[in-house]
Amino acid sequence: MSQYLLEIKKVSKFFSGLTAIDALDLKVKKGQIYGIIGPNGAGKTTLFNCITGIYTPEEGEILWHGEDIKGTPPHKIAELGILRTFQTIRLFAEMSVAENIMSGRHIKSTQKWYNGIIPTPAYYKDEKYNWEKVGKYMELFGLSEYATTPAGDLSYGIQRKIEMARALAAEPELLILDEPAAGLNENETKELADIIRKIQAMGVTIMMIEHDMDMVMSLCEYMTVINFGAWICEGVAADVQSNPAVIEAYIGVDDEDE
Amino acid sequence: MNKTSMISLGFLVVMGVFPFFADSAWLAVGITFLVFSVVAFSQDIILGRAGAFHMGHAAFFGLGAYTTAILNTQYGWPILATWAPAVIIPVAVALITTAPIIHLRGDYLLVTTIGINIIFLQVLENNLFGITGGPNGIFGIDVVTVFGFELFDQIYMYYMAFILLGITLFIMRTLDGSKFGRAMFYINKDDVAAQSMGIDIRYYKLYAFAIGAGLAGAAGSMFVVQYSAVSPEAFDVMQSIMFFTIVLVGGSASLPGVLLGTFVMFVLPEIFREFETARYLVFGLAMILTMILRPRGIWPVKFGNIPAFLKKGKK
Repeated sequence: MSQYLLEIKKVSKFFSGLTAIDALDLKVKKGQIYGIIGPNGAGKTTLFNCITGIYTPEEGEILWHGEDIKGTPPHKIAELGILRTFQTIRLFAEMSVAENIMSGRHIKSTQKWYNGIIPTPAYYKDEKYNWEKVGKYMELFGLSEYATTPAGDLSYGIQRKIEMARALAAEPELLILDEPAAGLNENETKELADIIRKIQAMGVTIMMIEHDMDMVMSLCEYMTVINFGAWICEGVAADVQSNPAVIEAYIGVDDEDE
Repeated sequence: MNKTSMISLGFLVVMGVFPFFADSAWLAVGITFLVFSVVAFSQDIILGRAGAFHMGHAAFFGLGAYTTAILNTQYGWPILATWAPAVIIPVAVALITTAPIIHLRGDYLLVTTIGINIIFLQVLENNLFGITGGPNGIFGIDVVTVFGFELFDQIYMYYMAFILLGITLFIMRTLDGSKFGRAMFYINKDDVAAQSMGIDIRYYKLYAFAIGAGLAGAAGSMFVVQYSAVSPEAFDVMQSIMFFTIVLVGGSASLPGVLLGTFVMFVLPEIFREFETARYLVFGLAMILTMILRPRGIWPVKFGNIPAFLKKGKK
């Protein structure tokens, strides 16, 4: 058994000849908050899409508890315990907040194939149990008052919370957050950082892409910097901040004048 | 009691006492309404809930109708015995024909399902296997017999259709309160998010098709017994377009909306019988006006169908 929860080994992803991810390596330990940073277009979201099965990388291995999960379809990835949020919020906008979070309970539901047309005592019990769980997650995220409100009617900050509550309701082992602070104001960002710590305290490993450097540096215990799909450096906040390659990637070098 | 059950119950009470106030002509209209409501609901499971642009539903309706007609007239099965195959065969055909195309989206799926409907009609009209009766269809279908007692009177037909609608509403209620019904909505609203939550899109779309086809088949079986005859033109693409439109005009996934849509499309033309062809005028105008003025249907669905104990903190 591997000591790492998730291992990315020499993973490459090409789009019609363009290299989106270039032989990338990274290792996530259980319980970590792991940051992925890099300039726009560096391939961060592509990496998340590879892990969650939306894309299948052409080369390399994605090891989950030591087993290769490359090419596994997204719904199976969720069943394995890897849940995610999206850079552009993807909620079921017309549906109520409670119904949105209930989607997280889908993989935990024990209903049988015939329960879609025939109710059984076990079906009623399962429904009740999962709705109670939804109530618990709404409370945890301070969403109880919006239970019946359509998710799409709420503010950006609240929608971010709903998305996280929805993923957390599936009781994931690994939670993947794609720019969770994007579009949030300062107060909301602070609140978000507290929520992320709270989720970590629940024993969930977290991987996040984030451009808010204050947040990344204060939250993430370990991080990998990528640019043009390739590994640039990795380490704890202090190491990464002082690394010249990182500064170069962010500011860029003007090589035309040389 | 949730909203779905309340609306269903109110509607069932009204339809349950209707025959006591209706003459035989009205009773026939009532039966038509009940049977077509079931078909409209079954279309709604596929289109309104799972969001699959399915425009070949008349094929599954017709498959149930022809199953009963053929087994009864060619093989001498009593009508009651044909009910199970009239459900199972459409389910099986739906699964086999849609499994290879279920991944198609929107307009692509629409065209392929129209194709399924056209092929079905060709099979009927060309009297394939010599059992469908060709363009003339099949005549002389028996009435339902229970313990040797022939249920000739229209009133029996009415209540059989009524019971079928009751079963349909019960299934819809169960579906709405299950992970299956919710999964269909999630896929409909955002399929990428749905699969990231662990929902197998293919499975739940096929599930919707299976239930939809089964209910439509049951309604088809009722339909042939009511008229004691069946012919292909009742199951052409135009009929599929009607079912499709009822759902969108009435309100996708909305129980009262779909009932209203069925009423407008199938009952109003009967009331204004002397203007028979005006049916399509109403049909056309209703489509245009609704889509412009109320793009989510006349009576749109309202989400938030959650247990009462979660609503305590509201407002």
